[in-house]
Amino acid sequence: MANFEANSDCRAPVAVLGAGLAGLAAAASLRRRGQSVIVYEAGKAIAGLAQSFHDDDGFTYDFGAHFITNRLAAAVGIGDRCRTVRYYGESVHIHGRTYGYPFGLLGNPRYLRDGLASRLRPADPHLVNRSAADWFRYTYGRALADEVALPLLEAWSGAPAAELSAAVGNKLQGGIAQALYLKLAAKLSGRAVANGYSHEMPEHPQLWHVYPEGGLGTLCAQLAQGLESAIHLETPVEAILVENEQVQAVRVNGQEQPVSAVISTAPCPLLARLVKGSDRVAAMARFRYRPMVFVNLRLEGRGLLPDTVLWLPEAKFPTFRLTETPLSMPWLAPEGKTLITVDIGCQVGDAIWSMDDESLGQFCLDHLEPLIPDIRRRYLGARALKTPIAYPVYLNEYEGDRQRFEAGTGIAGLYSLGRNGEFAHILMEDIYWRTQDQTRALSSPPASNAPASTLALVN
Amino acid sequence: MDSLITSARPQWGAPRRRGAAPLTMTATRCCVCDSDDAAPMAVGEDFEYRTSPDYFLAMQCRRCGLVYLNPRPSNETLAQIYPPDYHAFEFSAEAFGFVYRVRRWLEARRLLAYCRGLPAQARILDVGCGDGFHLDLLRQYGQPDWQLEGVDPSPLAATAAQRRGLQVHHGTVQTADLPSASYDLAFMIATIEHVDDPVAVVRAVRSRLKPGGRLVIVTDNTATLDFALFKRRHWGGYHFPRHWNLFNPATIRALASRVEMDLESLGTLVSPVNWVYSIRNSLVDWGAPAWLINLFSLKSTLALGVFTIVDMGFQTAGRGALLRVVLRRP
Repeated sequence: MANFEANSDCRAPVAVLGAGLAGLAAAASLRRRGQSVIVYEAGKAIAGLAQSFHDDDGFTYDFGAHFITNRLAAAVGIGDRCRTVRYYGESVHIHGRTYGYPFGLLGNPRYLRDGLASRLRPADPHLVNRSAADWFRYTYGRALADEVALPLLEAWSGAPAAELSAAVGNKLQGGIAQALYLKLAAKLSGRAVANGYSHEMPEHPQLWHVYPEGGLGTLCAQLAQGLESAIHLETPVEAILVENEQVQAVRVNGQEQPVSAVISTAPCPLLARLVKGSDRVAAMARFRYRPMVFVNLRLEGRGLLPDTVLWLPEAKFPTFRLTETPLSMPWLAPEGKTLITVDIGCQVGDAIWSMDDESLGQFCLDHLEPLIPDIRRRYLGARALKTPIAYPVYLNEYEGDRQRFEAGTGIAGLYSLGRNGEFAHILMEDIYWRTQDQTRALSSPPASNAPASTLALVN
Repeated sequence: MDSLITSARPQWGAPRRRGAAPLTMTATRCCVCDSDDAAPMAVGEDFEYRTSPDYFLAMQCRRCGLVYLNPRPSNETLAQIYPPDYHAFEFSAEAFGFVYRVRRWLEARRLLAYCRGLPAQARILDVGCGDGFHLDLLRQYGQPDWQLEGVDPSPLAATAAQRRGLQVHHGTVQTADLPSASYDLAFMIATIEHVDDPVAVVRAVRSRLKPGGRLVIVTDNTATLDFALFKRRHWGGYHFPRHWNLFNPATIRALASRVEMDLESLGTLVSPVNWVYSIRNSLVDWGAPAWLINLFSLKSTLALGVFTIVDMGFQTAGRGALLRVVLRRP
C-alpha cells in the first residue's frame, strides 16, 4: 500500500467499507470515474446480505431480498442472466380469513369505513408525525392500523409502535391509484410489475421483477468485476482517523492507510465506534438493528400458501411473515417441492437465536399447523439463516440524530451509504441509484459556489 | 429469421438467436454536455433482431435531456449487433416491393431539396451511407456532374454500395482517407444515433466540408407523442441496442454549438417508422401471434400508410417523428 504514499501527485484512494451491494456499486462507480478505490470487507466473501445458498437437493436459500428489477439488472449489465418473475402477490391472514394485500383488506367493512374516515378527516400533521402508531392510525384508520399494520410493525422491529418514528410510515406510502394501475398492468402482462420497490426512480408497467441466475450474488459478482485486486476480504477496518472534521486515513491490520475519502456501508453503530478524532457521528452508536432468524422449511408440494407472501399480524404466531418463494420463482425448489421462509424476530443470544436448525424447524411446524394442517407430513427439513442486522429500527428516541445523519455525517470525506449505512433507504434499487448520485458528487470537482468541504475529495 | 431462433424455455423470457452471446458493454456519459448525471428512462431488449440476450438501459441526461444508451455495447461488438440481414445492408426492391418504390420517390424529393444552390461539380458525402440507398437516388435524380461519395464502417454495407457502382470509403469519417475542406454538402441520415461519439463525428465532417459547406442531419426525434407513449420500453426509435444517442431540438442545438457550426435550419420530417415499430415491439414483447405482429412492419403498406397520415398531423404542429437539421461550417 506504500505505493499510494510514494506517489504524492496521485490522489489518495477512497476506502470503501463493505463489499455488499452498496459498497461494490460505489467502488465500481468510482473506479469508472478514474478514482482509485480499496474495498475492505470483514467477511470471507463479497455480497453481504445479497448472498444465496444452494443445497444438493436443488433448493436455493436467499438471504433478504429475493429479486431485483429489470432496470437494476440492465444498469449493472446482468440482464442476459435474469429470468422474469411472472407473479408476485401478498396476502394477510387475520381472524381465520385471508385477504389480498392491500385491496382485499378493503373488503372488510370495518377497515374500509375507518380507512375512508381517516382520509376525509383533516389531520394535524404534528399529531400524525408523533409516532409510527399515530401515523398508521391517521393514515389507514384505527381498525386497520391496530389489527394489521401496527402488530406487523412491532413484530418486525421488536419495538412498540408508539416508540417508533413516523418515518417508518413514510417508507410504505404509495398512491392508491398508482398501486391499482400497476396491479392491473401485472395481471395483463403476466409479469411481476414492481409496486413499491423504488422511491428514487419512477415505477411503471415496464418495470418488473427478475431473478438473476445463481441468485443475487450474481449482481454483486458483476459489480466486482475488474475490482478484484482492490477488494480485501477478511480485512476489517479498525479505525477511521479524522482530524479537524476531515477524514485522513483508515487503520487496517494496525497500519495507517491515507485516504481521500471513506464510504462506509457498515451499520451506523459500528461506524460510530470506528471514527476516531471526531464526535460528529457518536450519537449513532445508539442506533439499533433488529436481528432475525429466517427459517427455510423444505416441504413436499407447492402452493401451500395462498400467495407468495402471507402476513401474520396475530400475536399467536411467532412469525409475522411467511414467504413461499417458489410461487414467484419456481426454480428455487425442485419440482413438486417447495420452500417456505418463516421470519422470526429475536435478540442475539436469546432462545430463538440459539436454536439449531432442526429445533427451529419443529418450532415452526408447531405453530403453522393451523394454517397448513398436513405440514408435518410434508416436512423434509429446515435450514435457518441468521443475521443480527436484518432491519434498522427507527426509534423516536434517536429520530433527530437519524435525520441529521441522513443529511450527511458532518465529517468531510466521510459518507455513509446503503441499507445499513444510511439507516434509511432499504430498497435495493434505491441503494444503487443513490450510490451512483453520491459517488458522482464525490468524484466531480466542487462547483465554485458550493461549500467545498461537503463535496470535494481531500487532496 | 425463424431458423435463427431457439426454443428457449419460456421462463427465460424472449427467445434468443442461437448462440447469441451477451455483449461486452461500456459505461458512457452524455455526449452533449459531458455529464453523467442521468435518470433511467427505459429497459429494453433487441426486439427486432435478437442479436443478444441482454437487457439495455436508456438513460436521460438530467442536465440537457439527451437520451442515451448506458451502458452500451462496446465498439468490438458491432459485427454482432449489425447482423448480415440488417435492413440497412439489404434494403432491396425485391425485399420491400411497393413500399420501397414509394420510399425512394419521397426520399429523392427530400434529398434534392437540400441540394438546391449547389455549385457545378459539387462534391457530396453521405456519412453512414449503408448500402448506398441515398447516393443511388442522388445519382438517379440529381445533376450528372455531382461527385458522390459515401463512407460506412461496415464492410457489408460498403460492399453492397460498391456493387451498385458507388464510390464508398470503408471506415468511419474520422479514419477513412477523406480530403479536408473539400465537400459542399454532407448527409448524416439515420446515422448520428448509431455512432459512439457524435461530437467527434460531426467535428470530423465539419473539417471535411468547405467553409460555407453544409451538413444535413436526420435523426429520430424524442420530442414526439410516440416517444412519450412508448418511452419506457417499446419506442421504435430506441432500436435496442443500435441507437446510442437520441436527440430532441434542444439537444441537437446544443450539439451544433458544441461543434461550432451555425444552425441554418431545424425542423421535423414525417415518418411512420417509429410508430409502426413501437407497436410491433410491444406485440413482440407480449408474445402476440405472428400474423398480428406482421401487420406492423416495413413491408406493411397499411400500417405505414396509416401512420404516415397520423404523423403528418404531428408534423403540422412541428412534432414530426424525425428531426431535420441543417448546419453550416462558418
